[in-house]
Amino acid sequence: MVESAAHEFMLFGLSFNAETLEMTWMVMAVVLIFSIVATRNMKLVPTGLQNIFEMVITGLNDQIDASIGKRGSLFAPFLISLFLFLLISNWWGLIPGMASPTNTLNTNLGLALLVVVMLHVLGFYYKGPRYLKHFFEPFAFFVVIKLIEEVAKPITLAFRLFGNIFAGELLIHILPHLLPNIIAEVIPGVLWLGFSVFVGGVQAFVFTMLSTSYLAESIRDEDE
Amino acid sequence: MINIDGTLLAQLVNFIVLVILLKKFAYKPIMKMLHDRQAKIANSIESAENDEKKAQQVLGEYQKQLADARVSAQSIVDKAMKRAQEEHDASIAQTKQEIEQMRKNAKEDIARDRERAAMQLKGEVVSLSMAAASKIIAVNIDESTNKKLVGDFIEKLDKDKLGGLSC
Repeated sequence: MVESAAHEFMLFGLSFNAETLEMTWMVMAVVLIFSIVATRNMKLVPTGLQNIFEMVITGLNDQIDASIGKRGSLFAPFLISLFLFLLISNWWGLIPGMASPTNTLNTNLGLALLVVVMLHVLGFYYKGPRYLKHFFEPFAFFVVIKLIEEVAKPITLAFRLFGNIFAGELLIHILPHLLPNIIAEVIPGVLWLGFSVFVGGVQAFVFTMLSTSYLAESIRDEDE
Repeated sequence: MINIDGTLLAQLVNFIVLVILLKKFAYKPIMKMLHDRQAKIANSIESAENDEKKAQQVLGEYQKQLADARVSAQSIVDKAMKRAQEEHDASIAQTKQEIEQMRKNAKEDIARDRERAAMQLKGEVVSLSMAAASKIIAVNIDESTNKKLVGDFIEKLDKDKLGGLSC
């Protein structure tokens, strides 16, 4: 994670951060390769990597089914991809020389906005004008609070993840400067790395679960 | 790190591409495999239940056959015992009959022998008497008169004495 303008480049009048894009592509490749290796030669009796992958998928699927209901299976690939991408992204920055794609608001806000836009569009698609009505319940004045809530959703999603991951990476870079030598750094360094691994997993899970429940709120079939 | 620029749009595209690829290469195969496994387990359970039902049925049939076999074995034994008893009775009856027959034959033999002995005795007695009489009386009677005389005497003797003897 090196903050530098050298990574910026311009295309179609927009500026892009080359480092974030490179890291994202690497993470995407890792997620894809891991998934393909895990699901290649799948057997009815699972072994090794297939077990782990199945556990992640069935675990998330259960969560999704429980909160969204029968439409859940439609969004399961999206939410499972979200989880896997965020998990590997959060851990990616812990590898020396790499940076997490999720240490920038571009990625986090992008994903959060994608989720929020998706849930409004799908809510309107599934429920029609009835969907808009719930903004004015229990009485019209609530629309203000409801709108603030809707704006808060992507912002909290994005900033929670950004803060956690950015802080984790920042401290990894700062720790060597705070401590007198490499020996003194070993214990706090390893501890912080371990904690970052934990935080990365938790944040990926939190982001995915919040997205799931936001989606559930707007697209869940009320008759269920 | 907190400046928002075109990277956001690029990340959106990246993520959507990732979702599509993951869905194609990982999610679909794994869901298919999970469904296959579910179907296989359901099939296994169903076939196990069927097998158990069949086994119960076979066991029931077997027990019924066993009971039938026991009943028919009992009836065979009963029949055999009855027949043996009949044969036993028949053989005893036959033996009794044979014994009876043998006794009858023996009696007849004895009676015949006795008769024959009596005839022989009678003949000898006649000739002996003749010889004795001719010697004693030494009278010259003609042969036929003489024989008739002695025969009458013996006949009389036969009727009075010999017939009364028990042999």
